[in-house]
Amino acid sequence: MNLIEKKRAEEMLNAFVGSDVYLHSEATSYLFVRNFKVNLTDAFIAGEGPYRVALRFDGHGWLRIEGLTHLELDEQGRLLLEGFDDRGRMDVALHLGRGPFPE
Amino acid sequence: MNTNHSTSTKGRKMLAVFAHPDDESFICGGSLAKYAAEGVEITVVSATRGEMGRRMGNPPYLNRETLAAAREIELRQACAHLGVHELKFLDIRDKTVEFINEEQLIGRIEALMQELQPEVVITFHETLGGHPDHCAIGKVTTAAFRRYGQGSLYFVSFGDMMLQPDKYGYTPGDIVRVEVQDHLKAKLAAFRAHRCQSELMEWVWQRDDKAMRNFGRYEYFIRGSQSQSGKDSLFR
Repeated sequence: MNLIEKKRAEEMLNAFVGSDVYLHSEATSYLFVRNFKVNLTDAFIAGEGPYRVALRFDGHGWLRIEGLTHLELDEQGRLLLEGFDDRGRMDVALHLGRGPFPE
Repeated sequence: MNTNHSTSTKGRKMLAVFAHPDDESFICGGSLAKYAAEGVEITVVSATRGEMGRRMGNPPYLNRETLAAAREIELRQACAHLGVHELKFLDIRDKTVEFINEEQLIGRIEALMQELQPEVVITFHETLGGHPDHCAIGKVTTAAFRRYGQGSLYFVSFGDMMLQPDKYGYTPGDIVRVEVQDHLKAKLAAFRAHRCQSELMEWVWQRDDKAMRNFGRYEYFIRGSQSQSGKDSLFR
């Protein structure tokens, strides 16, 4: 994982806009959702780090997450955004893929 | 080492059923190493690959999607340090064990018991397990053990909590205390094998003798079945 660079993260997010996207997201200690399939219409990134990301989908949907610190575009072209606390433990995650994530 | 005891446990079988990679080492690694060293054939089952864990190394070199494969490798290495004979996964997603069809899960675990014929089964206590996945796998393993109807069942406990069994509704007679002092090196090696998890525990990476001071001399188990084993051994 690499530290998020805002401009670059924005470009990577925008590459998914206008298509069907599979999402994995979690507030690690509280919930996760895996393989929600949405049609992504907008993607936003805000803050100076840790970062906030919001997705608009299907004409009426929102997904907003904060606390993101790290990013990786993996070998399968999936965009993995994650947030770690000061002890290096995961707090949040938002993953975007063009196909489903393994169950 | 007590050679009489070695003779009495040689060729015997133990099945240990847990929820996540590292449960076997962090909770009762000393006991597994001890019985393996005495010749007991141990099979460890991990319900999940711990793929929903929070710790990914520090700085994080793993991510949510790479964690499962890494933790499987780490568990294999830890098992090698402990002397575990075989490792099996139930391929359940981390944090979902309590939502898996219970009857099917009991059936799978009972089939495994019938196949392996263990004399001793260890797992989590159904309510004292501490994590929903722990309690869930403990519950189904206990049900599978009752159907299997042979050998002895024990529940793991954490640290020294069973020095005061009455706090949890047990008597001293319900507790087995296993001395693991001679097997702390293997336990420490197993901790270190679970690198992405233990990397965040500074003491694990101190000098061996210093690190091992964090381990207790004993590991405690709660009897889950009528058995005639002594107060200091899981085997009769």
